[in-house]
Amino acid sequence: MSAPRKVLLLVGSPRRSRSTSLSLGSYLLARLQALGWQTQMLRIVAELREDGTREALLAAVDQADLIVLATPLYLDSLPSETIRALECIARRRGDGQAPKARTFMAIVNSGFPESHQNDLALAMCRRFAAQVGMRWAGGLALGGGPAIDGQPLDRHSRALRPVAAALDVMATALDQGQPVPAQAQHLASRQCMPHWLYRLDGNLLWYRLALKRRSVTKLRARPYES
Amino acid sequence: MQAVVLDGSGAGDGEMGAPRELLVRELQARGWQVDTRALREAAIAPCRGCFGCWITTPGTCVIDDDNRALTRAVYDADLVALFTPITFGGYSSTLKRALDHWIPLISPFFRRFHGETHHPMRYARRLSVLGVGVLAQPDAESEDIFRNLLQRNARNLDDARHAAVVWVAGQGTQPMRAALTRGLGELEVTP
Repeated sequence: MSAPRKVLLLVGSPRRSRSTSLSLGSYLLARLQALGWQTQMLRIVAELREDGTREALLAAVDQADLIVLATPLYLDSLPSETIRALECIARRRGDGQAPKARTFMAIVNSGFPESHQNDLALAMCRRFAAQVGMRWAGGLALGGGPAIDGQPLDRHSRALRPVAAALDVMATALDQGQPVPAQAQHLASRQCMPHWLYRLDGNLLWYRLALKRRSVTKLRARPYES
Repeated sequence: MQAVVLDGSGAGDGEMGAPRELLVRELQARGWQVDTRALREAAIAPCRGCFGCWITTPGTCVIDDDNRALTRAVYDADLVALFTPITFGGYSSTLKRALDHWIPLISPFFRRFHGETHHPMRYARRLSVLGVGVLAQPDAESEDIFRNLLQRNARNLDDARHAAVVWVAGQGTQPMRAALTRGLGELEVTP
């Protein structure tokens, strides 16, 4: 009997709580675990603390058969610390210490409703995989991240079932050594609400949050003009 | 007029010194006052993704470190040059750590812009952004990603004036100078 395959989830969100990246990645990890995979999750920001050695991160990468990066979109790209983690992994590869991981995939989510706004970040992930000699299994671009808001995905409303279904499809494909199927992206791109309503809802959310912080009148402040 | 060069090279990027010096010299030769910021020496904590700069202290990052002065310098500059080793097609982590703190320059409110959802800028002042990326060797896919990244960033910055210049380490001064001249020509910003 062969040893269980290992999947490593790298969470790129700097948030300690209410991380949508963690929600998405954890859901996928649970599905893979149910299929017999041995799972591990690391938060990139915690692993890259200035005083840390990054050894835990690099060792986990070395031992994994599959690496899943789940990360938010920051300014059309990956967050700085996610890039730094990929740089560390690439440097290790350059040192001739080839990681065992042979397959890499990414889930990128953003606060914009259009999933295609994540495409460049996924292209960077694909480029990383090519440069370090890993097989690129594809990615999932997800818009409307705040609709998940860091909650466990399997407890969510009917509107988010397509996202869970997309991850189910992904888990099955990855388990069979296949790349992320187009069907997964198709499911993940389904709109949970019209974009105009999403924008309206989002704008009201900022007012509600500012009300709690007593900063409503300052939302449009321009401190650099003073 | 003031140009800020955000130098995103890391301590181990030995090949970046000569291109950076060329960039600064060429800008100065065109009449720019150049303020170079070595980001690897700056104390900048990573963005926490807390949106405090939108709803707690609107327009200012809640983290009180060098990010505040850098973002202010970006706002004040007539030209912002993003100098970086092209990293998987994008910016280096050193540069990106500073760029992730540009969120205070942006308004939280959503709007439809170019058929997509975007945030307007907090300020009326239009940014001019020159991306200067250095590749260790020719890499068409990385170059393509880098150029698209500058375009996407510009769209998210209220159609900022923008241009992407891609240099290959060791390609020689003349082709690098020619590429920079083309990029600055696209920007249509002169001192």
